[in-house]
Amino acid sequence: MLIQATIKSSRRVFDLLPHLLNGLVLGLLLALIALGFMLIVGLMEQINLAHGSLFALGAYLALALTGPNPPLPSDLAALWLQVPLGWRYGIALIVAPCLAGIVGIAVEFCMRRTYGSDPLYGLLLTFGVALVLEEVLRLTWGTRDHVLPIPQSMSGGFIFGDLIWSTYRFYAAGMAAIVIGLVWLLIEKTPYGAMIKAGAHDSEMVRALGVNLSKLRLGVFMLGTMLAAFAGIVVAPIWGIRPHMGVDAVVPAFLIIVLGGVGSFWGAVIASLLVGLAVGVSGAYASEWSLLSMYLLLVAVVSFRARGLFGKKSMLEV
Amino acid sequence: MTGTSSDARLITPTMIAAWLVLATVPLWISKVGLYPYIGVEILIWSIYALAFNLVLGVSGLPSFGHGAFFGIGAYAFGLTQFNVAANLWVCLIGATLAGAVAGLLVGLFIAHRRGIYFALLTIAFGQIFWTISVKSHSITGGEDGLLNIVRLPVNLGVVAFDISDNDSLYYFVLAVFAVVTVVLWRLVNSPYGRLLSAIRQSEVRTAHLGYNVWLYKLSIIVISAGFSGFAGGLFAMAQRSAFPDVMNLAQSGLVVMMTLVGGGLVSFWGPVIGVIVFLTARDVIGAMTNAWMLYFGTMFVLLVLFRPDGIAGAFKLLVERWKARGATPSLSSAPRSG
Amino acid sequence: MALVEAEGVHVRFGDRVVLEEINLSVNEGELHGIMGPNGAGKTTFFNTLTGRVKPNRGRIRLNGEDVAGLSPHAIARKGLARSFQIMTLFNDFTAQENVMVALPAYRARGFDVRRAVAGDASFSDEANEVLASVGLAGKAGVSAKLLSYGERRALEIAVALAQRPRVLCLDEPTSGLGTDGTLRLAELIGSLKGKLTIVAVEHDMRFLFSLADRISVIHWGQVVARGTPRELQENAWVKRSNLGSFG
Repeated sequence: MLIQATIKSSRRVFDLLPHLLNGLVLGLLLALIALGFMLIVGLMEQINLAHGSLFALGAYLALALTGPNPPLPSDLAALWLQVPLGWRYGIALIVAPCLAGIVGIAVEFCMRRTYGSDPLYGLLLTFGVALVLEEVLRLTWGTRDHVLPIPQSMSGGFIFGDLIWSTYRFYAAGMAAIVIGLVWLLIEKTPYGAMIKAGAHDSEMVRALGVNLSKLRLGVFMLGTMLAAFAGIVVAPIWGIRPHMGVDAVVPAFLIIVLGGVGSFWGAVIASLLVGLAVGVSGAYASEWSLLSMYLLLVAVVSFRARGLFGKKSMLEV
Repeated sequence: MTGTSSDARLITPTMIAAWLVLATVPLWISKVGLYPYIGVEILIWSIYALAFNLVLGVSGLPSFGHGAFFGIGAYAFGLTQFNVAANLWVCLIGATLAGAVAGLLVGLFIAHRRGIYFALLTIAFGQIFWTISVKSHSITGGEDGLLNIVRLPVNLGVVAFDISDNDSLYYFVLAVFAVVTVVLWRLVNSPYGRLLSAIRQSEVRTAHLGYNVWLYKLSIIVISAGFSGFAGGLFAMAQRSAFPDVMNLAQSGLVVMMTLVGGGLVSFWGPVIGVIVFLTARDVIGAMTNAWMLYFGTMFVLLVLFRPDGIAGAFKLLVERWKARGATPSLSSAPRSG
Repeated sequence: MALVEAEGVHVRFGDRVVLEEINLSVNEGELHGIMGPNGAGKTTFFNTLTGRVKPNRGRIRLNGEDVAGLSPHAIARKGLARSFQIMTLFNDFTAQENVMVALPAYRARGFDVRRAVAGDASFSDEANEVLASVGLAGKAGVSAKLLSYGERRALEIAVALAQRPRVLCLDEPTSGLGTDGTLRLAELIGSLKGKLTIVAVEHDMRFLFSLADRISVIHWGQVVARGTPRELQENAWVKRSNLGSFG
């Protein structure tokens, strides 16, 4: 009896395994989004609701580069399409975030006027910007779902231990992990990162030390945007591409920085994994409602424990 | 909503002017290239926006999830009609109650917060309600919507009006709108309303004056949600159906934008102005270009950056400047710094 | 019996101890000053008195009743009013309305939605009285954000007075005022002495010494000296430490 029960429960855990792994992958991807978001919140002391649309923009720009209709004059386009998908995908992974970063700079310029005033205006402004960006995406690419082409080597699935696993998710997790590692290196090991941390902690001090705060902010905003765009490209094959995909990115990002605290790198990463796992596991029991679990988690956490697991008191607590 | 002092009048000249102008609309609306139904839409969304502004403009709470209350009211109207009684008043009460109860539920989680956290919680709740509406196919019809809602007759005991055609519906909704504006105007100018404004200006100070700020915020969320639900019920009746998309973030955001553009942050009538501008632009400019929402969104962004007082605010400024021109030279109208 | 008593109040934010142990009592009708260097915890102590901060340990009694940990609005209702160092006036309201919302009569009708505020003479009459008492008689209809700095400071106090408190807590009332303004403020507070119990945190030693019945000096989170102004002036330690400015 005991042996049977153990086999049963381990089988149940085994069934849960793909969901757990999906959750982990999602968690890593959310960490990418959340880190970019957090850097901006920490340094600018403004919530950027447009972060989600920049995430979406990344995916769409990658689509433009890898899809069947590249935005180039027809003979160049034909040439471009000759390049193998793998190369185009790789180039898109680098070029699209850079382009999105430029858009991010434009957004930052807009936001400058709202620094120092009632955070409500920053909120309204970035909401408006998010809407405008979404409209641009909708007008350019239409409302229907698109699919981001990925190289043959990364797509499809394989069988391991009685289950079918998606190849792409492992690549996605890998790419996310690498970039997260690079961000960690930047923040912890470079003088630039030190400036960011200092600036997030005390902007007056940083200014007094002679650092050009607006340049720093611009740089961080660009970095954050590029991270969001990169995340958009990596997530696209899993979530699909729609103009409205940004909301499902920015809301968990917020949840994650509240959970993990503003200003804590590992806080953001661990919180992302937790949220990813929560969504993944709830996907096992009620797949229709798994995204909902994220919003419910947000309500539970933000209502009752706004300082998060690792966080310090931040400007968010008005 | 700022008003340096409250107004004692129950009915103002502006109200009467507005009602009179609105009463004439069915007579000329087709001649300007629009159609009668837009009048109905404008009135219903105006009620919604006025209710919404209780929370944003008056109390300073940024709600990006108000569509949930509007949508719940719409569904409740239909469900009450199908399952309880096909009586207009019963259904409208059902819509209002549903909105208010939802407001209470949400309010319990968010009334102790403000600013960014408040906004984020409203977004989360909006998404939660939207998801539930879409997935609860058996109750709400999901993406297909709740259909076959009927425009129930207005039964006043002695006489009954049929409102199935757009013109009669318009006059009914106009009468409702008139009542709602009177009620809300009084609310905003009452001690309760002024205290909400005080809370917007300084929660801390208001608390230290002996007021239970949480209770004020919770109550206004419930009241606003109730009126929004009421508007939702009217909307369901007008379009004879209820769909989940009013609850999504974009649509909740629409009412925020309309209210701000119209000048809801500084004026009681701002939301109404915003609704008129938005819906007319949607139909007039929308007919010309697919990108009209882009233009509206860009205008919104510019307004937030440079003129958050919106249209009503700009109007007030003009009036002040005009008045100042007529003042005697010894009076300075320039504010002293202090 | 002392009207306000703090016993063993200890406040810690995270791992930073702000108030080590505060023992203080204020008698009815007294004007009790609180002095001390910046960061010593004076405003935090005020915040515990008024309910904004809950002490980790210790008791606070108002008229014998334990009030530590009650919410600000509950404590305000028990008769404790406070002015703020960083002015928190209702900038969109007129001076008169700023004062009106503080009136107990207004508070009693806080949930009234049926009547308008504007037509109500009882509120405006009482508010005008309070405004006159702080020297702002002619400014009732002026928007608070248009008043001069000195007038705003006076309004700040008027709002607290309008609550008809038993205990008035003033947080750095002379902050930012010039000599003229400080003199006028001293006159105003002098006129209130005896009618109310006043607790005032101040940096301006001359101001405090001329008005206070007793003064407590808070340093390193504790009350390090206490007594009448004369006693403190003789206190060598107080003289040596740079605890405040003389004007």
